[in-house]
Amino acid sequence: MTLLLPLLIPLAAVLALPLLPNNAQLTRRVAALAGFLQLAAGLLLWRQPPADLSVSWLPKLGLSLDLGLDGITLPLLLLSALITAMAVIATPVDQARSRLFYGLLLATNLGLTGTFLARNALLFVLAYELILIPTTLLVATFGRGLRSSAAIRFLIYNALSGFVLLGVVLAMGWLHPGGVSFAYADLAADQFSPVAERWLLAGFLLAFGLKLPLVPLHGWQPITYTEAPTPVAMLLSGAVSKLGAYGLLRFGVQFLPDTWAAWSPWIAVIAAVTTIYGALNAIAQLDMRRLVAYSSLGHMGLLVLALAAATPLSLQGVVVQMLAHGLITALLFCLVGTIERHTGTVAIPEISGLMNPYRGLPFTMGLMLLGLMAAAGVPGLAGFVAELLVFEGSWVAFPWPTLVCMVASGLTAVYAVRLFNRVGFGRLDNERADWLNTTWGERFPAVVLAGLIVIAGIWPATITSFSEASVTPLALRQTDLVLTANAAGAEFTAPELLA
Amino acid sequence: MATILETAAGAGCFNTLLAAVDAAGLREALESPGPFTVFAPVDDAFSALPPGTVQTLVDNPPQLARILKYHVLAGAHNQAALVAKEQWDSLEGAPIPIRSVDPFEVKNATVVTADIACDNGVVHVINRVILPG
Amino acid sequence: MTPPTALAPEAATKPLIPPSTHRYADVIHRLEAGGSMLPDTPENLKQIIGIYKAYAVPMDFYWRDLLYIAEQVFLNPIPAFKYFISQEYLDRPCSYAGDQSKLRIWRGGEKAHPELLEFMARGETIRMPKLLHHLWHDRVNMEFAEACMQAMLWHQGMGGRFNDYLETDAYRANADRAIKAYFKRNPLMLGLYKLFPEMFLEKVKQLSYTANLGLFWEVMAPVFFEMSDIYDEGGFKGVPDAMDFLVNGIFAVAGRPIYHHVFIDGECFEIIPKSEGFTWLYEAALPYVEAVFYRTAPFRGTKSYNAQAGQVPDNQADFHYGILYADVFPVGSAGIPPTLLMQDMLHFLPPYLQDTYKQHKRGEDDQLIQLGITFQRSMYNVTSAVIQALRCALLYPLDDPNPEHLMANRRFFEAQMDRFLRPEARLPQIQTQDYR
Repeated sequence: MTLLLPLLIPLAAVLALPLLPNNAQLTRRVAALAGFLQLAAGLLLWRQPPADLSVSWLPKLGLSLDLGLDGITLPLLLLSALITAMAVIATPVDQARSRLFYGLLLATNLGLTGTFLARNALLFVLAYELILIPTTLLVATFGRGLRSSAAIRFLIYNALSGFVLLGVVLAMGWLHPGGVSFAYADLAADQFSPVAERWLLAGFLLAFGLKLPLVPLHGWQPITYTEAPTPVAMLLSGAVSKLGAYGLLRFGVQFLPDTWAAWSPWIAVIAAVTTIYGALNAIAQLDMRRLVAYSSLGHMGLLVLALAAATPLSLQGVVVQMLAHGLITALLFCLVGTIERHTGTVAIPEISGLMNPYRGLPFTMGLMLLGLMAAAGVPGLAGFVAELLVFEGSWVAFPWPTLVCMVASGLTAVYAVRLFNRVGFGRLDNERADWLNTTWGERFPAVVLAGLIVIAGIWPATITSFSEASVTPLALRQTDLVLTANAAGAEFTAPELLA
Repeated sequence: MATILETAAGAGCFNTLLAAVDAAGLREALESPGPFTVFAPVDDAFSALPPGTVQTLVDNPPQLARILKYHVLAGAHNQAALVAKEQWDSLEGAPIPIRSVDPFEVKNATVVTADIACDNGVVHVINRVILPG
Repeated sequence: MTPPTALAPEAATKPLIPPSTHRYADVIHRLEAGGSMLPDTPENLKQIIGIYKAYAVPMDFYWRDLLYIAEQVFLNPIPAFKYFISQEYLDRPCSYAGDQSKLRIWRGGEKAHPELLEFMARGETIRMPKLLHHLWHDRVNMEFAEACMQAMLWHQGMGGRFNDYLETDAYRANADRAIKAYFKRNPLMLGLYKLFPEMFLEKVKQLSYTANLGLFWEVMAPVFFEMSDIYDEGGFKGVPDAMDFLVNGIFAVAGRPIYHHVFIDGECFEIIPKSEGFTWLYEAALPYVEAVFYRTAPFRGTKSYNAQAGQVPDNQADFHYGILYADVFPVGSAGIPPTLLMQDMLHFLPPYLQDTYKQHKRGEDDQLIQLGITFQRSMYNVTSAVIQALRCALLYPLDDPNPEHLMANRRFFEAQMDRFLRPEARLPQIQTQDYR
């Protein structure tokens, strides 16, 4: 029953928030408490891996409450709990309509948790659709100037994603050779006909490609991340977008392995295009938030590259990259939000000299440097571990797309240095620099995220050793590269590459 | 006729200037045949300077001499000759501009009485101490 | 608009000249009324006097050490201890303070200021040997004073005869005697002198400027101390009073000799004798204001300039990196002279200024910048005093009845304000109290 805790905590908070008095401080505390409790529950589950839970719900529809956690979903659960808590703390203390705001944030978290816990495709879809409503409302209600057009775009793309996903999952369940079933166990066990596999995978690629997003399905992403309030952007980029990668891993690599393997060269090309597209666009941006949005897009491409390669190492890379990317983008959006709150702008040409020790935002910019370095894959930080695993794991399968992604990763350093040079160095404008320094309260979420980035960079074994057992069996290609001796893939030492 | 210094002493309104000339050790030079053109500030001109100014100079003869030399031109020039040129080089080295003909103004000082002829030059009485620069 | 003539008959007297149309017409009219470039507010008065005090204490060290370097350290090939000023120079009677002074500007004593001695003993840390304070950089930063000297040396021709004299044969002969005497027991250095005489001469020129600056500041330190004491007694009514005190001070010491003596084995070598007639006003003060307040050079560590792209003026006279144009915000970058000065002043801030800084901006966290901007204000006031003194010396009284004379004054003031037309000038900012 402990499996229900991560679901019940945000659910209770979502239900309780509207009943609380309209007091921004109080609601903020309740929401943060829910986030931390969920995180604690997640850590508890990590210490004592629970047995799967299965409660029949609507058996006629094939819907049952199948819940479970493995080495892939548990890290994601922890990530989403952490980012939710940090997003709550990164919210301005005087947030207007705080009950609604935090309620929607936690509802999003509830949906996310549901998708990660689900061991049933229909339950997954249900939770997936649940996320759409609060996120759209958050962007539409609390966004910036262009929030309505951002929300419309977000809604169209993501509703399409949800609609397609619902159709494909229903088809999958019905086409299931062993009778109608949506349980992951059944879906993984049996083979679909090749034609069915192709149609299903096309549908999943569309649905999750919209979510990630992948180029050319990314039309909603930059504007949404730009217009969304900082905590929402943190949650969307840090946690919600991971659903796309997770979905592809689950429904593509795991359930439709043959077609996935057959199509993977093309998927790798799309991934490379996404990566280079994101990096090049990030270089061209004049708005810090858009820069981070495009940077995030580019790094999503790396995930898909690793998924396409589907070697034990690259799939390890997927898990680590999901975590690293979640932490890094959430950190960057959080810092950009801090900069905007203090300086009143995120336009790169308008600000400079923020590293100024007396009148700038030296602490924030210091963390920004760390975040950018992590994004650029500097050793010792989480991004390096993730990218190393991705590149090393994918190289054996797709050298050329990997090479392109490596170039794009190098371009990360270009926009990182450019951003930091323009904003951090140079002359601090005397007229404009009339703000107070950040307080420790404001710094807290960024400090936590940055700390985890460092820890994950120095000691990645915490994650890899945990996820390895779950990930390695999903690998479609084997390599002679193994991470640790006790890995399940260690028995496939023969260099039989299915390139 | 009298020398420049004798003329000045006779006038009675150049006590500070004469004392300064003595302090700076310029008496001998000004008694030489010259000829010189001297712009002589009256006592009131010196007392118009902020307190301490004159005392510091009197305590430091070389510096005082430099300021006094700025009031002296080589050669005897009367008003008519002086206004023909825009500026004249003083014995100190810095130029003295002729700012106005009527009234006759030398640098920022106004000439109260012009063309007092002496044995060894010409004296023009001015109402303000002039300073180089 | 008809003025109420019955109430204010003096308002009916028409001004002799029309108002200025200069961009800084307000400032010019204030100067013509005997005011300062800095607006006359109690807050400005408090800030500038407080910072004069904080400036004067390290300045008391600067001038003593500058003279120590110029007169005693001289050409020491390894001047590692040039900031370790001798007791003799700490006790050297200031010419403008103490009972022995001929012209007493400050009522206090002639030796090094007690606050300075206290700081030299303790620093920011604890009592420890001088060498440790030095290495820990817990001391008065002479580097700032030397940067000022170098600005004067580098800009050179800024009026006065000082620089011309450094090129004369008399100066070369004097320097030659001193160099030979200084190295008479050091054949290696004498040999080097034979090989590279110009290099040694250049070093001596630099030391002459060091003496020049030391003699200049020997005056300013007591002036600022006295201003602080007068303010503490409630003596100044406003900013113009403070400026007038400076104007009178400038005149009173204008004739002070500027010289360079070197003491080698107890023998005095007059490299620049007093008899050359160099004066404090022409050979020290005016070049100092020009070189340090207006020009200086871009400080390393504050901003990068691309000379090829024309970001640095071709003409040295157009340099504009002095305190009047300074962007105080980069203060804090390690080791740059402005930061060192701010750091020096921070140690001696009077309590009322510390309180002021606590109430604004980031309070104690950015005191260095707040006091830097106060310093900028105070130097606009000093510059105003220089401008008024020059007007007084070279032009006409402010109440001159002759409109032509008033126009000459006006042209002079406008020409001075033209220097602040460039966008870097902080004159517009200091007009309000928001700039902190």
